[in-house]
Amino acid sequence: MALSYVRRAYSSFAAHVFDIPPRLMVFLFLLILLAVPITGISDYYMGILISANVLAIFAVSWDLLVGRTGQISLGHSLFLGIGGYSSALIFKYYGLPIWITIPLAMLIGSLFSVLIGFPCLRVKGPYLALVTMAFPLILYRVVKWGPLTPIFGRVGIIVPSFFHFLPIRQQVIAEFYFTLILLFASSVIIYKIANSKTGIVFMSILDDEVASKACGINVTKHKLMAFVISGMFASLAGCLHVHLLRIAESSMLLLTVSFIPVILTFLGGIGTIYGPIVGAYIYSILDKYVLGQMLPKLLEQWQMTLPTEFEYAKLLIFSSIVVILVIKWPRGIARYTTDRLEDLEEARDLDERGPRIWKRYKQKNRN
Amino acid sequence: MIEEIILFGTIKSGVYALLALGFTLIYGISGVVNLAHGSFYMLGAYLFFIIGTLGILGSGTILSSVLALIFAVILVGVIGSVTYRLTIHPVLGDEIAVMVVTVCLALIFQQVVILVFGVTFPPVSWPKDSFLMTSIRIFGVPVLYSRILAFVASLALFAGLLVFITKTKIGKAMRAVSQDREVAMLMGVNTERLYMLTMAISAMLAAVAGILITTSFDMVAGSWMWLHPLALSFSIVILGGMGSIKGSLVGAFIIGYAEQTVAISVPEGGQIISVVPLAVMVLVLLLRPKGLFGKRIEMEE
Repeated sequence: MALSYVRRAYSSFAAHVFDIPPRLMVFLFLLILLAVPITGISDYYMGILISANVLAIFAVSWDLLVGRTGQISLGHSLFLGIGGYSSALIFKYYGLPIWITIPLAMLIGSLFSVLIGFPCLRVKGPYLALVTMAFPLILYRVVKWGPLTPIFGRVGIIVPSFFHFLPIRQQVIAEFYFTLILLFASSVIIYKIANSKTGIVFMSILDDEVASKACGINVTKHKLMAFVISGMFASLAGCLHVHLLRIAESSMLLLTVSFIPVILTFLGGIGTIYGPIVGAYIYSILDKYVLGQMLPKLLEQWQMTLPTEFEYAKLLIFSSIVVILVIKWPRGIARYTTDRLEDLEEARDLDERGPRIWKRYKQKNRN
Repeated sequence: MIEEIILFGTIKSGVYALLALGFTLIYGISGVVNLAHGSFYMLGAYLFFIIGTLGILGSGTILSSVLALIFAVILVGVIGSVTYRLTIHPVLGDEIAVMVVTVCLALIFQQVVILVFGVTFPPVSWPKDSFLMTSIRIFGVPVLYSRILAFVASLALFAGLLVFITKTKIGKAMRAVSQDREVAMLMGVNTERLYMLTMAISAMLAAVAGILITTSFDMVAGSWMWLHPLALSFSIVILGGMGSIKGSLVGAFIIGYAEQTVAISVPEGGQIISVVPLAVMVLVLLLRPKGLFGKRIEMEE
């Protein structure tokens, strides 16, 4: 009885929720996020959301490169490290304010991605993944190398936080808004790029590189372009990460960090650009809140405590989730809505089939 | 110094060749870039330690250690083929998915090891009082017998595998599948079972390499130890050419000597030793992307 009511309510909701234009949905999502600090939740939960924002920028940049261009990179932590270390080093040696180091770090990140992209993008498929995996490992060793400790510090480089002049509570709120705005801006930019003519060329490279070459597309140029854009935004994420942790340390170059965007993107849905954002929020909330807070409290009621090794089991859980997702449900969670949307649109007008991106391209060409 | 580089470089390279052979075998035959290859190396060392300390097969003698080695290697082979069937096989053919799944597997194995062993790092070695832990002087450099054993055993295994691939019927089937999968299937090769077998062999080779290296270079086992062999094996394979057996042997020797040179001649070289194979790989991809003996995904005759 109750179940059938819920089912009917859900189906009427599902029938009408897709009538809301996507742009409005994004706006509503942003509005909800903007209102979060007003509810007065504690600094810890704000911290979860802040880290989700930074991870989302990181994962969105990975999605543009891998999901849209098909150039698999398993070493995206390289750009995180380059962004973080360059901003920290500029601060350490030149004492420039953070507002200048962020764009400088992004510039250095994109320069490095040009430098690395040229040799890397000559190879493809598994070779590319292996080469990109090699670079952060090299940089990790170089940063930890004995003779270089005066530059990179024994534990890391201490940097100030963004809003160090404010009291703690305001600082957290300001950081939240700052990262949220940056996330919004960078994901809109990446989404616009991905849905522009250039983005369509990226998709063609993903689909068939030889065919797009035959169509007269400069494949190398476009691959490099995707690489540079991706590297730029990843180094922005690295810069934010460093200033939020207040320290630039070598652990951000680890392979497990390169693996975080993979988790987020496969959670949300690869190739969607907005999927990784959804994935980042789900991941952060699952990681820090459900497994870090709710589960211990729940177990406390039955006089049980989690063993200290549980911290390590989290990565195990997420890796297993990704394996299951890749095998069983490769389209991800956020794709669910668009899949439904496309179903409905298909039912509405059967003559305009295909992904929406192609439709938009057709409309633009018609005018 | 030059004698040390040549001797230890040779010994290490022999084992590295074994490691890279497993990686190139599974890539050449089924096209799977197995990023969990280092995990089998790690699992081999850990299972060797576990079986050794459980003492089911006796303890303290060389015979018991060799039995433990054999059991550990077979166990790793079984683990390899089971994980292949459960996780990699469903996504076969999709490069991105295969690599993501194998990285996941590597992380899963790493976390399992951390969960089981925590922060204790078991020392993996032959029985302390056996003759394997004594040394012999070659060109004035003391060399442990265990290292000589590692070198000889890995070369013997390498040769044995070459014979297996070239002479036996299963080896013929493997080469056939690597050349053309559909036609091999039409000729009655059960590719699924063959892939599982290949994966088992590849995992077993990695496990042998893991046990030989950790026992002869007095290392402790740790959850991080899968990364360096993985980097080694893929850089050797890229240097030699993906899917080429001759290439993996030559590449292993080049990288082994380069590593040993850096370890001895550069200040605090032990810390950046793992950079060497990666740097070599990047150079190779810059200069000659298909490697020294690279063809396409083909096993050579």
